[in-house]
Amino acid sequence: MSEKILEAPDTVQNPVEQATTELKQRFPESLSDETRPGYEGLIVSPDKLREVATTLRDELGFNYLSSVTGVDLIDDNKMEVVYHIYSIEKGGGPIVLKAQVDRDNPVVPSLVPVWPGADFQEREAWDLLGIRFDGHPDLRRILTWDGFHGHPLRKDWKEPFYEEDHKPFGSRWPGGGVRRAEELNPYGKNVQYPPGWVPTGDEYEVETDLYTGLTIKKDETIDLKTEQVTVNIGPQHPSTHGVFRMVVTLDGETIVALKPVMGYLHRNHEKIGERNTFIQNIPYTDRLDYICSMSNNLGYVLAVEKLLGSEVPERAEWLRILNVELTRICNHLWALGFLLNDLGALQTPMLYFYIERELILDFFEALSGSRMMCNYMRFGGVAYDLPDDVRGQPTLQFLDELVNERLPRALEQGNELMTGNEIVQARSIGVGYLSPEDAIAYSTAGPVLRASGIPYDVRRAEPYSYYEHLDFDVAVRYNGDIYDRYLIRLDEMYQSLRIIRQVLPYLKETEGAPIISGKPQYALRVPKGGEAYARVENPKGELGFYVTAKPKGSNPERYHVRAPSFINLTALEKMTVGHKVADLVAILGSIDIVLGEVDR
Amino acid sequence: MTPGQLALRSLIVGFIITFAVITGFAYTTLLERKLLARLQGRIGPNRAGYIPVPTRSGKPRRFLGGIMQPAADAVKLFFKEDITPAKVDRWVYTLAPMLAVIPAILILAVIPWAGEITILGQTFSPYFAIAPGVNVGIVFVLAITSIGVYGVVLAGWASNSKYAVLGGIRASAQMISYELALGLTVLVPIMLADSMDLGEIVAAQKGVIDWFVFRQPLAAIIFWIGALAELQRAPFDLLEAEQELSAGYTVEYAGMRFGMFFMAEYMKMIALSAITATLFFGGYRGPFVDQVPALGFLYIGLKTFIGLCIMIWIRATLPRFRYDQLMAFGWKRMLPISVLNFVVVGIFIVLQEEGILQPLFENTLRFLGIG
Repeated sequence: MSEKILEAPDTVQNPVEQATTELKQRFPESLSDETRPGYEGLIVSPDKLREVATTLRDELGFNYLSSVTGVDLIDDNKMEVVYHIYSIEKGGGPIVLKAQVDRDNPVVPSLVPVWPGADFQEREAWDLLGIRFDGHPDLRRILTWDGFHGHPLRKDWKEPFYEEDHKPFGSRWPGGGVRRAEELNPYGKNVQYPPGWVPTGDEYEVETDLYTGLTIKKDETIDLKTEQVTVNIGPQHPSTHGVFRMVVTLDGETIVALKPVMGYLHRNHEKIGERNTFIQNIPYTDRLDYICSMSNNLGYVLAVEKLLGSEVPERAEWLRILNVELTRICNHLWALGFLLNDLGALQTPMLYFYIERELILDFFEALSGSRMMCNYMRFGGVAYDLPDDVRGQPTLQFLDELVNERLPRALEQGNELMTGNEIVQARSIGVGYLSPEDAIAYSTAGPVLRASGIPYDVRRAEPYSYYEHLDFDVAVRYNGDIYDRYLIRLDEMYQSLRIIRQVLPYLKETEGAPIISGKPQYALRVPKGGEAYARVENPKGELGFYVTAKPKGSNPERYHVRAPSFINLTALEKMTVGHKVADLVAILGSIDIVLGEVDR
Repeated sequence: MTPGQLALRSLIVGFIITFAVITGFAYTTLLERKLLARLQGRIGPNRAGYIPVPTRSGKPRRFLGGIMQPAADAVKLFFKEDITPAKVDRWVYTLAPMLAVIPAILILAVIPWAGEITILGQTFSPYFAIAPGVNVGIVFVLAITSIGVYGVVLAGWASNSKYAVLGGIRASAQMISYELALGLTVLVPIMLADSMDLGEIVAAQKGVIDWFVFRQPLAAIIFWIGALAELQRAPFDLLEAEQELSAGYTVEYAGMRFGMFFMAEYMKMIALSAITATLFFGGYRGPFVDQVPALGFLYIGLKTFIGLCIMIWIRATLPRFRYDQLMAFGWKRMLPISVLNFVVVGIFIVLQEEGILQPLFENTLRFLGIG
């Protein structure tokens, strides 16, 4: 292994520090430093939050709101809202703003006027933590249903059949006697209904807020009696890629307004995560974006490694990059297949792409034992070394053939057959336009952001793993329509192939080297506690994990997922209004969502 | 032969052909599923039934796996609960599938399946069809196919569902716009054969070289596109549009009522394939058909089969148009081209009949210094 390639590049000047000092000078009274050990960022007084955010966006160049989440500080009787703000131009780390409010009456000014992308994230924080955002245009529940009572991520909220706060749970049969959790905690004791709700009746009107938000106008200018209709597309619909619903107001076939409704698959991933020990969460992250389990693993593992401060051996890093890039190809083949399917090309292109996707899945199976739920990464390394052979071929030979022959050929074929197709072009060029400014403001990430002409890729902007040593280009397209979102995925697959070609020699070179540092342990303790936010460039966009830990206890205190599919959906209405129903499904397909991640 | 005998004979022939085509419909569904599967690199239905082919090893080889799939589908559809949703317009809801199927069967009446032929002592003259010698045969076909749209529109309307209504609206708009182009293109074979009788149109295409497709390839292409639109096949399958409207006008239908829409679609596929063959590909004509008239059945069957395969191939290949693009394509491209084609063909026919074309052609060649 050459020493030169692993040399870290010089950091010229840290833009985060620069901006922090600048901010402190401007708002000396309302900003203070985070004092808790292991925590970073600035504490903002809520009344100045919007001004600080505007300054950051307009004057200091920190214009990309990545994540908004809340933390329940039950010991201090406070609620904290955490904002991670990045700079598109300068790259690098985040400016972390924290607003602390009284837990009994948590009101924070909404940042939707500054960043429209905060919309869904603030609604999520309201839904799960009960933090009210003053000035939010449409503060409704988003993941749980309308009749849900309480805010489940609050530390004092307990689910039905609640057993204990943390895993591993104590014995369910203490002293050998059999008891069931249901007996201890009868159903109904923890189920709370909103006032006036009758579980068996339909007197309670659900979703009135949703429908009243959609105004139906009548065109008075012409004599013909016309009316707009509200159509529910989904939750059971072939093109919503799962159980996702869009309430659409139509004027003829033209979309006038759209509201996405999600949460049908909601399982409160974050609450489960907070009950689990750190290591039990790795397989849970597989289920977020179930097509890219490898990259999900990596994001979470990076966040916890930041907390633990653990080192990763070289071979493990190469293995990680190999798998993450294969996952990217896997996901994009899937996404393109479905996009073309949504354009009405039946399943033919999809099935053509799947032939090669199968090979990647076969490799994953040989490597980790599972085709989709890989559960492969570990803190400080990976779980398994490369298998001896895949599909009867030596592994490296198989990978070599896959990367140098099969995949390029499949991409070439797909490109040749579909890219120039007149109907594909007529259906996708100029449809679902998202301007670069909007793409940033709506916090879109991944291919959606880059297809709008913003060359922002976490692998380059804030490199993790060995990405800074690898030679690849950030794919970028400038038209921001469906066609560009289609092309950019092809581009990214070619770049991923490039990366894998560079990784393969190192895998050969480091054969037999350790793949995990330290000895594997079941219960991890974070010595001093603290917080960590790690983000990776998932195939669907920027996937972030915000994990905080207490000095004691082997489970996260707060575990938040910044899901790219979920946040990319914020821009859906912007892209679709004015287009036809047929375009709606194509636009949704071009965002490429996975409901496991949207609903969490 | 008295008119009564003639009517009785037509009735019997009608029964036979209708049942043959209904069987054909069942196997077209299998053909579509199998062929689509092969085009997409899959295997397709292969579980329901097979033809055992004896081999030396004693264990019979399974040939044509899935051959009983249509029967299984039919049994499933018949035994499914036939749900009528609560708030539908009951009468229209029941009527709509029938309105879709009946026209699809009626089209078969005028298609010539063979030339003059004697079967069981009965001579069918001038050609073998349910209703031979209808002198406005092609107009009848156009008229009846247009009725089919009522089935779709009424189904959409009666279902009391927004998806279904959108599908129904799309259907009416699409059919009206493509019928024009289709009708204008049909005029070209009529002019070339100087008759509206389908039998005479076939008779005008004596040898392979006389097929109208070689004299008027443009008209044949436009007719084919129009036929696809008329059939609501891909890439014009907007009114079903699985990805957009889930199933369009059929969302609220279940069991055999849904099956009837399916049946209408596939029977129309067969009928329009046969009509395309008749108008442009010499119908039942082919080598030695004058000596052995029974070959006519084979030839038109083969041509229809090829037509069906091409439809399925197109479905596996092309994405779907958007509603407004479909309209634009119909009105701005198809219609002007077919009008222009029709006018040009008309002018040339007049020139030829007046004896101007030949001298004009020779003079042009002389003027260019070639002739």
